[in-house]
Amino acid sequence: MPRELPGEWAGELEVAGLDPVAAGGPAVAARVGIVFQDPEGQLVMDRVEDDVAFGLESRGWPPDSMGASVRSALAAVGLGGLERRRTTRLSGGQQQRLALAGVMAPEPWVLVLDEPTANLDPEGARAFAARLARIRAAGTATIVLVEHRVDEAWPLADLVLALGPDGRPIDVGTPEEVLARSRDAIEASGTWLPARPGEADSRLGAAAAPPAGSQAAPIVAAHGVRFAYDGPTVVDEVDLEIRPGERVALVGPNGSGKSTLARLLAGLLRPMGGAVELAGSDPSRLKGRDLARVAGFVFQDPEAQFVAATVRDEVLAGLDARDPAVTTAVGELMTRLGLPLSAFGDRSPYTLSGGEQRRLSLAPALVREPRLLVLDEPTFGQDRRGCEALEAILAHQVSGGAAVLAATHDERFIASFASRVVRLERGRIVADEAVR
Amino acid sequence: MIVRRLEVEERALASPLGRTSPLLKLGIALAWLVALAFSYDVRPAAVVTIAAVAAGLALGRITPGRLAAGVAPLWAVAIGIGLTNMLFSGANTDPANSVVALIGPLRLTSAGVLGGVGVAARVVAVVAVGVVFGQTTDPTSLVDSLVQQGRAPERFAYGALAAYQAIPRLADQLGTLRQARRIRGLRSGWHPRMLVGLLVLAIRHGDRLALAMDARGFGSGPRSRYRTVRWTPLDAVMALGALAVTALAVLAGR
Repeated sequence: MPRELPGEWAGELEVAGLDPVAAGGPAVAARVGIVFQDPEGQLVMDRVEDDVAFGLESRGWPPDSMGASVRSALAAVGLGGLERRRTTRLSGGQQQRLALAGVMAPEPWVLVLDEPTANLDPEGARAFAARLARIRAAGTATIVLVEHRVDEAWPLADLVLALGPDGRPIDVGTPEEVLARSRDAIEASGTWLPARPGEADSRLGAAAAPPAGSQAAPIVAAHGVRFAYDGPTVVDEVDLEIRPGERVALVGPNGSGKSTLARLLAGLLRPMGGAVELAGSDPSRLKGRDLARVAGFVFQDPEAQFVAATVRDEVLAGLDARDPAVTTAVGELMTRLGLPLSAFGDRSPYTLSGGEQRRLSLAPALVREPRLLVLDEPTFGQDRRGCEALEAILAHQVSGGAAVLAATHDERFIASFASRVVRLERGRIVADEAVR
Repeated sequence: MIVRRLEVEERALASPLGRTSPLLKLGIALAWLVALAFSYDVRPAAVVTIAAVAAGLALGRITPGRLAAGVAPLWAVAIGIGLTNMLFSGANTDPANSVVALIGPLRLTSAGVLGGVGVAARVVAVVAVGVVFGQTTDPTSLVDSLVQQGRAPERFAYGALAAYQAIPRLADQLGTLRQARRIRGLRSGWHPRMLVGLLVLAIRHGDRLALAMDARGFGSGPRSRYRTVRWTPLDAVMALGALAVTALAVLAGR
């Protein structure tokens, strides 16, 4: 929909036999279905069946034919029987499959999917890919899939178009051709390539040694910690100790309590039962200023945590900007993050690219050199280059004696980052093992 | 995810009040508010409050606990507004009114007290009507009813639904912003800067939602209806009952 978004464009475009600019948005929308990245942002209605029917209503489908279409679209994505469920009560994976059902129901010619599994846990992502494979096998629609994560997408593809960071195509062809011709060029551009067999899993679960290798006293210790927002218990009787230098990946399905446990450990929430001890005190009772010295927290969505109007103020917020030691440290850190203040200092955080926003969101935590750094889905929406930059930054932090805990779904990141994997299911730790 | 969502219970939606046309319920609420405007007396407000609570519990099958939780935050507001009106009522300066108490320079008269109680009672009545409406109305049927029975513009009705759904999400985002401030040693209480952050997030979400709606053909032509809403005998019964309450409230104020 080139007309809907600000910007310039040139060249020729033909979508499902239409010139989208001449034909206009509604005509294109009638032939093209789009699934976006953010599961919540694209669900329009309050209940599952109404959300699927929304696109049919827009196109003026006769009322008596809608019921059958809604039901078969839901069955095709594995959501049969959930017609009356509220969309807010679905898991992220279910929401994303609902979005797919919503665009599939009007039988589009072309189905465009913009990183549809970026928010999903591995099981959710695999279930989504399996549904896509079925749609592909049915052969009713052309599927265009935009993906950073190529492990699930690559095997589905008949044709691969690799784009470089400048937006120019690197190569286009069958997956085999592209891999044979342009493996190095794609690698050099910072784009993900599919893992060679066994590559991603080689480190996971390789060593089953008990994690308590370090002799140092724990930086953070949770004992019998329990938490509920307003209803079912989200974190249940969790015991966990993290020592200096540990790189802990906190994993588990959507809704298993990872984010909540991460916030409890960093003192952002107060446990309802049990206790958290961070560097000798209860972090939830520390004053913000004292908490900031021992713990850093990086939220999943960088934009959700910005507190200032410029990049410079964003990093300096809460610090003494008149202290030359502080300004020097901030200047050095920002250069290391690839956001030198000379170029970025006066820009608004909201105008940065996704990768820049992610690195900026790390800065306020890193500059305080906290003993515990907690990150919630840090690789979300990052290309390979972004992930590598993040890993280098975290490695630097750990070498200084800090402990890092990341709540994450990203199996590649876990494989290259974690020294220990803690798995949470329904608020309880079900596995805890050292991985290297 | 973070903040509780005061969702409407399914059993309330299946109740007679839950099955009543949302548009009619809006109309009833409006009629009752107009009835309250006619008099400063406590009695019309009491009639409306009792009718709303009784209807919510008996016809709407709202759990008493949920009803109380919905009204609770506004008790303090009602009492505050009532006290202010009581203490600073113009009636207190009228020498003809009998004095109830002298608080420093303030002369509290019986007319002032009655006026204050009347205002507080009206706040309670408005809140009770609002909570009962909210706790028995499915957002989807509200949209269907607004569009099909009220002939409201579709953009307005779906916009109202989006706004309704945005409330819990904004509450979540506010929670995250406060935590982001706390972890940096900033004051995590209210700060005007948060408004900017929330506004940016709300606009981003609105953009995404509008794009998603357009991509699904919203506004591309006449819409058909997945669900047809019709007036029912139940609506007629409810309307008659509500009319009786309105009359009672008006008469009670005489």
